[in-house]
Amino acid sequence: MQTKTVNNQKHQRSINNAFASHFAKSMFLAVSGLAILTFIGTRMFTHVDLNLYGYMVGTIIFLGGFFYRFISWGERPPTKLLIKKGMKLLFRKSTPKTTVNHLAVYEFIWNRGIYRWTQHILIGWGCILACLVTFPLVFGWMYFTMDDTGYYNIILMGMEIMTVPADGIIANLSYNALNITALMVIAGVSMALYRRIKNMQARAEQTILYDFLPLYMLLLISITGLALTFMNVFLHGVGQPIMSLIHQWSVIITLIYLPFGKLAHIPFRPLSIFARNYREHYAEQSMKKCNVCGNEFVSDEQSKDVVAVLGINQIEFQTKEGHHLAELCLPCRRKYRIAQFSGFPTHDVKVKEANQNAKG
Amino acid sequence: MKKRLYIELENCIGCRSCLAACTQCGGHEERNRNYVYDVNPLVNRQTMPLMCLHCVNPACARSCPAQAIQVHETGAVLSALVEKCIGCQNCTIACPYGIPKFDTEQNLMYKCDLCIDRTKDGIPPMCASVCPTNTLQWLTDEEIANRKKQFNMDNGKWISSMPYLEGETNVKVNLPGILQGITKLF
Ligand code: HEM
Ligand code: SF4
Ligand code: SF4
Repeated sequence: MQTKTVNNQKHQRSINNAFASHFAKSMFLAVSGLAILTFIGTRMFTHVDLNLYGYMVGTIIFLGGFFYRFISWGERPPTKLLIKKGMKLLFRKSTPKTTVNHLAVYEFIWNRGIYRWTQHILIGWGCILACLVTFPLVFGWMYFTMDDTGYYNIILMGMEIMTVPADGIIANLSYNALNITALMVIAGVSMALYRRIKNMQARAEQTILYDFLPLYMLLLISITGLALTFMNVFLHGVGQPIMSLIHQWSVIITLIYLPFGKLAHIPFRPLSIFARNYREHYAEQSMKKCNVCGNEFVSDEQSKDVVAVLGINQIEFQTKEGHHLAELCLPCRRKYRIAQFSGFPTHDVKVKEANQNAKG
Repeated sequence: MKKRLYIELENCIGCRSCLAACTQCGGHEERNRNYVYDVNPLVNRQTMPLMCLHCVNPACARSCPAQAIQVHETGAVLSALVEKCIGCQNCTIACPYGIPKFDTEQNLMYKCDLCIDRTKDGIPPMCASVCPTNTLQWLTDEEIANRKKQFNMDNGKWISSMPYLEGETNVKVNLPGILQGITKLF
């Protein structure tokens, strides 16, 4: 057992040594992956749409920012620990349900307010659907061909997956997919902007760079996208090349900005599934009893992990009674502090904490 | 002029105005984020507030895997960013004073942000604005130093940090002389 782990470590180190850093390695793997997929999808580069070249460059710059940001994130002790344990617990029975709930349905945002939920469904799903259409087009993973017979072929990864009448519902939906998603995003962003102007709660903390910039960028992308359609359909393409450039530019800037601002939550949010699995799994294993009152309040594992993470940060909350403060349940920990102030052991009086819910 | 929250613990009469005022601050969604405790509930009526002390090296933020807890340039340790908090509850376990609250339904942690929309402009936080007994005050460092002199305690115990707290904090706490059997001179 011992030797095996040592060997594994050596092995890993030797692969990692081939690259200057994690960053170089991830970047290399991702760009190679994209290139291979593109090679296959475009039937050996025979179907590249050069109008979309800007997006390709944008995506690659985005990947650079993304890995830079997320690798340094992953090195923080609590993040590293959660990722490591979350990976191990990925295949719990509840994972599919948690995933759908956290990443697609957003029940927890619903509980924050129906307005906020509607706004996020529109923005989130508008963007996700738009990406599902755009990226395969950009990298040539998906394209369309038209038969003389008035039928329309959808080709995914070099394979014909569907042949539909050119004026049918599916064909119309797919021509208009990006228009529909643009309308969704515009509606959602307008709701968000309205809330940010009207709602005192939102106004309290917002800043232009963090809260407004992403909204304006999404708005710009959607409006220029719709304008493209408008110019094609009603103006016979007048102004289309310039608008196309503005649109491309706004998408690229947003992609580059994404890992650094508010939108960084998109690639990071899947960790909420790790967190849920972590809490569920270790709570089933064994619960930590409060060192003062004996109530179970968190899993043993999490209590130990938090103590360890604080330790790495040189934070030790050792009490003179020999506990770590993270081993006390929350009410006892608060009473323990009152006891430090007053000199009277409040936490040892077996009385539930008094009314803490004064309403305004 | 930079001001701080300054707490004179034993002035507290347990009216819970601070909790009620807390619910009314912009960004607090009508939920209070602080605590008021009976010191010796079966024997007397002495109470003390327990607020987030806005640690200089905040354990809550250090333990957060999502970097959802940001430290404002004023030193205030903010509530979780709504789009970042992934609901792990590490922060609630890490805080040495048990301050952060967690809403399971919303999968979101919320805590005292020192009413950042007010204090960033030098306006006192809600709790200090309403406290009828000067338990919670909004003072400059100079005023706090004067307070210390005025109390005339040369045992160094008045402005408490170590060993009564676990680390340096931006909020200053005044140890209760009465309960320690020391007379305080007003
Ligand atoms: C992967 C799934 C996603 C999850 C779990 C998620 C989660 C969240 C959460 C919890 C919030 C805070 C909402 C609130 O409390 O009001 C939020 C806000 C936001 N999300 Fe997402 N998100 C996801 C995907 C996306 C996508 C794909 C976009 C599109 C670009 C997006 C754009 C936004 C924007 C713009 C806000 C801020 C809205 C505002 O200004 O109030 N999200 N997200
Ligand atoms: S008192 Fe607790 S919640 Fe407040 S800053 Fe310190 S660790 Fe964070
Ligand atoms: S509950 Fe939210 S704020 Fe607290 S540590 Fe976890 S992710 Fe961070």
